[in-house]
Amino acid sequence: MQPATQRSKVSVVPQPEAAKPAHPWLNRRTVLSFASMSTFLLGWQFLVSSGIVHKRLLAPPIVVIQTFITKFVDTTPDGATLQEHFITSLVLALIGFVSAIGIGTPLGLCMGWYRGIDAVAHPLFELMRPVPPIAWIPLSILWLGVGLVAKAFIIFVAAFVPCVINSHAGVKMTSPVLINVARTCGASSWQIFTRVCLPYAIPLVFAGFRISLGSAWSTLVAAELLAATCGLGYMIQMGRTMIRPDIIIVGMLTIGFTGAVMSWGLDRIERRLAPWRSKR
Amino acid sequence: MTSNARQITYRLLPVCSFVVVLSLWSVVSKVKPDMVPSPLEVVQRFRELLVAPIGQISLGKHIWMSLQRVLTAFSLASIIGVILGLLMGWNEDAQAIVGPVFELLRPIPPIAWIPLVILWLGIEESPKIFIVFIGAVIPIVLNTQTGIKLVDPLLVKAARVMKANEFQILREVVMPAATPAIFAGLKTGLGTGWMCVLAAEMVGAKSGVGFLIIRGMESGDSALIICSMVIIGIVGACISIVLSRMERWLCPWRAIL
Repeated sequence: MQPATQRSKVSVVPQPEAAKPAHPWLNRRTVLSFASMSTFLLGWQFLVSSGIVHKRLLAPPIVVIQTFITKFVDTTPDGATLQEHFITSLVLALIGFVSAIGIGTPLGLCMGWYRGIDAVAHPLFELMRPVPPIAWIPLSILWLGVGLVAKAFIIFVAAFVPCVINSHAGVKMTSPVLINVARTCGASSWQIFTRVCLPYAIPLVFAGFRISLGSAWSTLVAAELLAATCGLGYMIQMGRTMIRPDIIIVGMLTIGFTGAVMSWGLDRIERRLAPWRSKR
Repeated sequence: MTSNARQITYRLLPVCSFVVVLSLWSVVSKVKPDMVPSPLEVVQRFRELLVAPIGQISLGKHIWMSLQRVLTAFSLASIIGVILGLLMGWNEDAQAIVGPVFELLRPIPPIAWIPLVILWLGIEESPKIFIVFIGAVIPIVLNTQTGIKLVDPLLVKAARVMKANEFQILREVVMPAATPAIFAGLKTGLGTGWMCVLAAEMVGAKSGVGFLIIRGMESGDSALIICSMVIIGIVGACISIVLSRMERWLCPWRAIL
């Protein structure tokens, strides 16, 4: 057995000419994926229905699907339907996220280009940066109560810091050659900033948005776990107090799925805005 | 001359901004003394914290408890995560098998696991370790996998020409080439872990820094909250400094910004 002939074992080299599947989708990979997914689901179902794991600890996939469907109309046990919780969380996350982008990105970009602004704001950021956004929850609850404003503030903090840091880095990392070329051609400082640095920074700015979004979404869940009357985080917390694992799992999957969809949407926007930067 | 004056201004501006923030803080604390403690009160509270235990546990012990949870879970996550990432990056079948389930669980934030894990394991040590594990393992797997996929195929081919076997290629070529990426994953993992332990302790615990901050909230002791935030920030910053040092030591060929 020469190792060199075991091509299927090596995924490092992309080889388009090799491994042409006989069927467009019925290849080894999809079969394996499908098999593993069904084993996972069946194993999960079996663990619960055979009684190895108690029903109060884990809900089988079929019950999860049932709960997911009935939760659209059923308000028990937490007082709201799934879409109400979902909308509450989504609106909050978007308010915090959009305002963080709206304030953070221009600030970061300016910090990257104008040394004066950088000198004023950067040290404060370096102070704030290592504090995880979750740690802001108690303070904002104490200051702003448990309402919408407090949560929007927490999400704002969570999304703000990565926005600023990445926009700052994006401008700072602009290739000096490009800046010098623009300067040689007689561009003003403002022109260099808007025509050279801004486009150059877009990929990093968007990477910042993606971090912000992830951070905002998970911080929102934390805030809702701790203090809320509606929202997906509240729903899973109630699922725990009422010992309804099906509700918890429905909530977790909804949270995960929404997060994935949002980051996918951000990807699409980035490709629109910066098509020259094809990733990977 | 003017450029010299400019240099001095740039040196002075950070100091000014600190002074402005501190004085703003003091003013606000004068206006709303019950909500916002003054900077002096925070310092005093911190000194008090050093001598008076909270919840029968001293400050150092609280920090150590949190660190212990993070380190236990992180060690587990780094072993399992690197192995899993290695498998998924190197072997296409493993990727096909583990990939879909991993992709299903990946977008769920570790914090969203808290209620389910508390339901399973209660509020002792193990649920916290579990949550930190979930938080830390995901970036480690992802980075290891990407790092291995991005290893220069030329290196692998060269090793193969020299009749290296699969294991040798993995150990001598792929692993060192992927070390920077793996390390970046470990760094992110530990950072996420520190955040997760905080969240887990805030939801239910009797010790740890997350407990401190929640205690501050429940008793309306905002000075304690700010103290805990500072402590959390400092510990988090120390963790990342230590890891950066280790990275420089482990992969010195990689020039770090």
